[in-house]
Amino acid sequence: MDYSKEIRDIAAKLFADGKIDVFVGYRMNGFDDNQVPVVITDPKEVSTLVFTEKSVFNLTNYLKTDHTRGKRVGLIVKGCDSRSLNLLLTESQVKRDRLYIIGIACEGVVDDKGVKMQNCTECIVPDAVVFDEMLGSPRGKKDYIVNADIRALAEKGLVERREYFEEIFENCIRCNACRHSCPLCYCAKCCIDQETASLYNGSNTASSAFHALMTWSLHLAGRCVDCRNCEKACPSHLPLHLLHKQNEKVIFENFQNHLAGVEEGERGAFYKYSLKDPDDFIM
Amino acid sequence: MEAEVKDKIVSIEKPEIIAPPDWKPVIVGILCNWCSYAGSDLTGTSRMQYPPNIRIIRVPCSSRVDPWFIIKALQTTADGVLISGCHPGDCHYISGNYYARRRFLVTKELLKMVGFHEHRVQFSWVSAAEGAKFAQVVKKVTDDVVKLGPLHLYKKENFNK
Repeated sequence: MDYSKEIRDIAAKLFADGKIDVFVGYRMNGFDDNQVPVVITDPKEVSTLVFTEKSVFNLTNYLKTDHTRGKRVGLIVKGCDSRSLNLLLTESQVKRDRLYIIGIACEGVVDDKGVKMQNCTECIVPDAVVFDEMLGSPRGKKDYIVNADIRALAEKGLVERREYFEEIFENCIRCNACRHSCPLCYCAKCCIDQETASLYNGSNTASSAFHALMTWSLHLAGRCVDCRNCEKACPSHLPLHLLHKQNEKVIFENFQNHLAGVEEGERGAFYKYSLKDPDDFIM
Repeated sequence: MEAEVKDKIVSIEKPEIIAPPDWKPVIVGILCNWCSYAGSDLTGTSRMQYPPNIRIIRVPCSSRVDPWFIIKALQTTADGVLISGCHPGDCHYISGNYYARRRFLVTKELLKMVGFHEHRVQFSWVSAAEGAKFAQVVKKVTDDVVKLGPLHLYKKENFNK
């Protein structure tokens, strides 16, 4: 999967036609073979753009920054990225007519060690769902599989799970990188930060991490698209996907196979309801 | 009527924690204004008894309950949380409790995975006419939480332990 040449050509053409002001893509980071996101405003820099299986980041996160706000943007999206873009469009966070979207029929990306990422092996929607132009040959939707880690955790006992998650919360340093890297966390003021005024939150204790991560994941439930930007950003390498995948599993199994951002114009799972939703856990 | 603690009670999530002899569970009850709060009022005016371990918070509708409230209650003081609203179809705001129901299921399942016993957070539908049911529900939740023991996870007073 190497579309570097095609993307350079498209970006150069878009700049020449005056269709876009900025282009959001990937470039080499300059010291090893990993890539970093780049926001290009100068058409001369187009030659630095690359796209290979090392292009891991979800670029729709840059739609909420000042680099792109109010401008016409060219953007590369993979399957998962396009789902988050779909949600941002539905939630009126970006305007479709300001975007030129290059969709990728993604074959999966690899992490730093060259191993295929777990979310790519379990990917449901590999092709971009919103795009102006598609690169690669689409392969269609796949069946939903329950995450392997969630299945393993479900077999453990209560105390064991508590110990496992207590360690995760203890290792969190509350840098909020997960929140800032999440394309769907666009609130100007996060509710978690309201707690920083009090003494016990905001510092890096298990208590405050429990509060922050659980609230964060529940506010993303039914919207998380499993792009794993949060995990890539986490300096403590916490398995943050566990929280999201658990929510995704419960929502998929109970709420009419809902998957975030797959259908155009469909909002998150908590924005609608069905009379047949499970009720047996309520007294 | 207050839940009595006779034997040695061990926290179910953290067996090394033993409840002090004077331990009484703290239960946070978040009740919808139109049904459950009126229901609890009826319990009082009908002179029915229920455990005083519950601390009631009134909200406009059960869909006002952000999962965040549950997390915050468990993180700070509560040993258990009870959330109660109108029966499906009876919501004062027509569909609020249908939206709430979805969130409750996801919250409950997530807390279960993270290592909370499923009886820590409970939900009920109580209408304004069901004073007896409210007393029953509070009794059940209190009894359940007494069995589970104190919740010692992520509490603010646990910092240096």
